[in-house]
Amino acid sequence: MEYPKGHKHVVKELLDGKFVLPSEPLYQVVRENDEFYTQFFKASFDYELRTSAEYCFLISGESNEMLSRDICIFFGVLCYELDRDGRNFLDEIQFSEWDHERLDRYFENSTYAELINSNKQLRDKDSRRTFVNSLSRRNIVEKHAEDKWTFTAAHKVFIDFASELAKNRIREGV
Amino acid sequence: MSQLKAEPRTILYFIWNHFDLLNELFVEQMEKGYIRDTSLRNIVSKYEFDVRDKLSEYKILRSINDDFEIRPVIFQLIEFVQNEFKPVLPETIEKYGFSILSLFRKIKEGINGDKEILIKRIEDLLSEVRLFVDSIEKNTTKLLSETRALKSNLEKIDYREKVHRASGWIEHYIIPLNEILDVNQTTSVTNQLHEVAYYVNIKRLDTTDELIRGQFEKLYSFLVQTNDDLIRQSKLLTNELLPLIERIKTESVILTGWIEFLKKPYTARVPKVFKTTMERAYNRSFYLNAKEYVEQFMDDEPVYFSDEPSFQEKWIFNRELYRVRMESQLPIDDFFGWCQNTVKKDFHLIDQEKFFSMVTLIFEDDLIMEADEKAEYTTIKASDVIMKVPKVKIDRHGIS
Repeated sequence: MEYPKGHKHVVKELLDGKFVLPSEPLYQVVRENDEFYTQFFKASFDYELRTSAEYCFLISGESNEMLSRDICIFFGVLCYELDRDGRNFLDEIQFSEWDHERLDRYFENSTYAELINSNKQLRDKDSRRTFVNSLSRRNIVEKHAEDKWTFTAAHKVFIDFASELAKNRIREGV
Repeated sequence: MSQLKAEPRTILYFIWNHFDLLNELFVEQMEKGYIRDTSLRNIVSKYEFDVRDKLSEYKILRSINDDFEIRPVIFQLIEFVQNEFKPVLPETIEKYGFSILSLFRKIKEGINGDKEILIKRIEDLLSEVRLFVDSIEKNTTKLLSETRALKSNLEKIDYREKVHRASGWIEHYIIPLNEILDVNQTTSVTNQLHEVAYYVNIKRLDTTDELIRGQFEKLYSFLVQTNDDLIRQSKLLTNELLPLIERIKTESVILTGWIEFLKKPYTARVPKVFKTTMERAYNRSFYLNAKEYVEQFMDDEPVYFSDEPSFQEKWIFNRELYRVRMESQLPIDDFFGWCQNTVKKDFHLIDQEKFFSMVTLIFEDDLIMEADEKAEYTTIKASDVIMKVPKVKIDRHGIS
């Protein structure tokens, strides 16, 4: 059987829990062989492949819930604080370059201080650095230097989550 | 309506002199749609003179049952000078479409009829178009200022309320206004105006009556200007207002979601994130993974181990026993060989401790040692080490 070019790399990246982005050649490989990879991951590992115009990623039956929850808290606090600062938070997250000093400023002056302090991944500068590295490993942020990064389109998974949550709550009238 | 008994200048002077009071009444009516009797009393009482009679006499206020309203002409004057308009529902604006269409038909039907009626109809048509454009401009101006205020959110409006307002504006104002202005829709008012302009353009050239031709000319120029104004308003709606409101709506929805989530972050269901199962030592992330793994133990309580008593039997070298045995066998040609054999015979296994204990017998007094330098080394295999030793002969010192 002939496998798509770059197959090994595709499998490795996705199994490492990474978001494969359109800026990478692998993205094209996955999209061109969408059906094959959907079946391949389902049959081989019972994983679900999710693809969109902005990213591809795998979902396992057993989720890394703690990481996901920490990412949600991270983006939730950041969006809220950016808005409070009078910024267009979507633009800031989508287009702006970030560094730790700026990130720390928002987290250290946050109204969610109690929640941040109780979270091991976000409670202080060092843990936030480690956390950003975790995001980098998943391709949720793209590092340009040790202290410079931008958020990739993968952040939209979490923004969409917030949007859906709000719509459901509004629909339920909570 | 009874006639005004005051001089126009007197009324205008009154308005100028009491503009602050009138403005307060205007704000009240903008907010509630009417002015309650109690509100009127409260507002008037803040000023030096009770002018309620004058407000009626100059026909500035009109009573509706027990409440009041500012007459439309005065209300519009204040709206205009304040540049503060209340948005009008597009269905209200749409009525101009009907009146314009109706007048246009009458003009076409009576093009060869009564001259004066025709001129009046052309004037009325121009007036209706003017009112239509004014309404559109007022609406876009007001919606834009309201939207910008909502964006800056100085009133600290709740995100849900922002979503509600933005959705309402889009549904009830922006989309219908766009439909009214959409030149691609045959029924839109803009499209009707194009039709009118096409007809008027012909008539301003081929009408023989100079007066009527002049009226058509005037109407045509106005329609050309109107077209430019409507294009500008349409662009304002689609390029600025709609994206701005959509943006507020989207952002507010997302923030509502995050605020809801952050209320109880550990109970809500979160997006699924892939759980990796294999960590390789040569993985690029190994350092961070290892660090993360080690860090989880850093806060743990220290653990202490107490020294357990050893139950292993301690072997003690019985020097005297072996010294006597060695001396009884002197001379010995190969001392290290003798040590090896003795340990092996007594303990079955040769370990270093026993072997070297035995070797210490060589330092006994009254022994002489002699080594053959040319002889080959002997190999002695202990349980945990292999040793190469020379062949050493020992004997009793002196004459035996």
